[in-house]
Amino acid sequence: MTLLAVSDLSIQVGELGLVDGVSLSIRAGEVVALVGESGSGKSLTALSIIGLLGDGLTRSQGRIDFDGQDLAAVPEAALRKLRGADIAMIFQEPVSSLNPLVPVGDQVAESLIVHGRASVAAARVQAVAMLERVGIPEPARRARQLPTELSGGMCQRVMIAAALISRPRLLIADEPTTALDVTIQAQILALMASLAAEAGTAILLITHDMGVVAELADRVCVMYGGRIVEDGPVGPIFASPRHPYTGMLLRTIPRLDQAPKGDLFSIAGNVPSPRDWPMGCRFRTRCNRADAACAQTPTLSGRDLLGEDRRVACFHPLEAAP
Amino acid sequence: MTLLKLEDLCVHFPVRTGRFGGKKAVVKAVDGVSLTLAAHATLAVVGESGCGKSTLGNAVLGLAPVTAGRILFDGQNMAHMSADARRATWRDMQVVFQDPVSALNPRRTIAQSIAEPLEIHGFAKSLIASRVNEVMALVGLNPDQRDRRPVALSGGQRQRVVIARALAPSPRLIICDEPVSALDVSIQSQILNLLMRLQRELGLSYLFIAHDLSVVRHIADRVVVMYLGLVVEEGTVAQVFDAPRHPYTEALLSAIPIPDPALRGKRQRIVLQGDLPSPLDPPAGCPFSTRCPLVESACRVARPTLEPIAPGHFVRCRIRAPGPAD
Repeated sequence: MTLLAVSDLSIQVGELGLVDGVSLSIRAGEVVALVGESGSGKSLTALSIIGLLGDGLTRSQGRIDFDGQDLAAVPEAALRKLRGADIAMIFQEPVSSLNPLVPVGDQVAESLIVHGRASVAAARVQAVAMLERVGIPEPARRARQLPTELSGGMCQRVMIAAALISRPRLLIADEPTTALDVTIQAQILALMASLAAEAGTAILLITHDMGVVAELADRVCVMYGGRIVEDGPVGPIFASPRHPYTGMLLRTIPRLDQAPKGDLFSIAGNVPSPRDWPMGCRFRTRCNRADAACAQTPTLSGRDLLGEDRRVACFHPLEAAP
Repeated sequence: MTLLKLEDLCVHFPVRTGRFGGKKAVVKAVDGVSLTLAAHATLAVVGESGCGKSTLGNAVLGLAPVTAGRILFDGQNMAHMSADARRATWRDMQVVFQDPVSALNPRRTIAQSIAEPLEIHGFAKSLIASRVNEVMALVGLNPDQRDRRPVALSGGQRQRVVIARALAPSPRLIICDEPVSALDVSIQSQILNLLMRLQRELGLSYLFIAHDLSVVRHIADRVVVMYLGLVVEEGTVAQVFDAPRHPYTEALLSAIPIPDPALRGKRQRIVLQGDLPSPLDPPAGCPFSTRCPLVESACRVARPTLEPIAPGHFVRCRIRAPGPAD
């Protein structure tokens, strides 16, 4: 069952387009990764789903359906109910996302109290139980502490506990482990995977780290220059990327499990800023397969990928791996 | 030939703790580190935040006070050198930091930034302009960009400017403190290739401080793994990556996600319990004993020593590499 369907979403600041016609869907219990480099539009896409676009940013077109309901048609008061209760979000910087003056237990309990699901006393009890579930030792004592008294890894667990206490159906996680050390990242990824499996929570994971995608996601949407350039199930995309950008990106990452062989593969040029996006395919200035046809905008389609549940936006896709 | 040698280097910071700063304590950020960097080679120092790797680099640069031990650069001890005497060594030793945005003065043009170390070292004005063009070309920047300001450049280009500035006075050693961590994935490999090419062409030595072990595997010759201010394992890249012996190194390597979904669930993962202990109150005995899956009660008694287990491969663990006292 489709839980979230984003169709043809575009976001602008003034006249400048930052996200251009993004469509994606997430089924209940599914982990979908949105990957891309800085400026690809992945975080804006996520923020607009939850209705938190910053000042000056507008949704110029598109439709976001959550559980069959058009979110644009939902009044702000009802949207507030949805946020925190059915859709929760965790951000990259746990320390700056938590209120420094409120004990962490109360911050975890907040969404239950605000949404009237429990009394203050009952919510506090549930918060301690939730802190224990996300692996915080001595949860009753920690619940009374302030964020500054906790490490970064523990603050991220607190964020996850606060996001999950109301049993949301969709969790949007924006670079949830980027600020953390790898041994802590491994703990948090294992926690998120088990929550998705046990509670059936769908996760939209925004990340730049292909390792994290390979570890956690069921499906992946690769973004470049404000558009999705390729999407599909994680296994086939990593085994046989069809968009040249996806292929190059995977080749450019140094791998821990491979002994070095001379120079690393690298993609020429720089990640262009939205003002410098070329007409047509936005990757064509860095692509070795580009020709005159690429001055047109390719559509995201599954024409040549029969039966694979995949789409690619490219006039000259890579050949399928044998 | 040895270019840089650290002998029992300690950097201890006095701090005040408690709600009103009433309690005095000492953070032993670097606590007796010895290592050797050969000329034309890359030595990587890896570890998680708070392990002391950046403080180590800062101490070599003279940016952190040395509590004890020696820093031998070309045989000369710089640990307690006066500021004036140190100045002369700066030409030989430069630095590239993580964030190229904060490393460059936004009001200065690229050429002005690159020229700065040359001005400090009293190069003639006529030489400076040609040297700036020369190093810009070396790092792949178009000399036409010399009058632009950092804001007009992308992150990767800014890091090239920072590298050009470090190269300008023809140093022999560059301390690279997380030089690619702030860059986009598609730019990281460009900068790593650049660093490797410059090393081949100019015979540079790198002290490469990083947390990303996949990057380290590609660029380093030898690796030092730090935990709470101590070296817990040291060896060649092949020794540390293919046959790690310290339980912390094993856990660290197993925790790194590999971009290959076919490996999901197939790799043996050692998930460590808990967080890094507070450096204000490090555990007695082995620093890793609070999170170690192999821990025994004897580990909590005395700090293990760094013992050789193979030529050039050292491990600080009383279980894996027992010393004479164990």
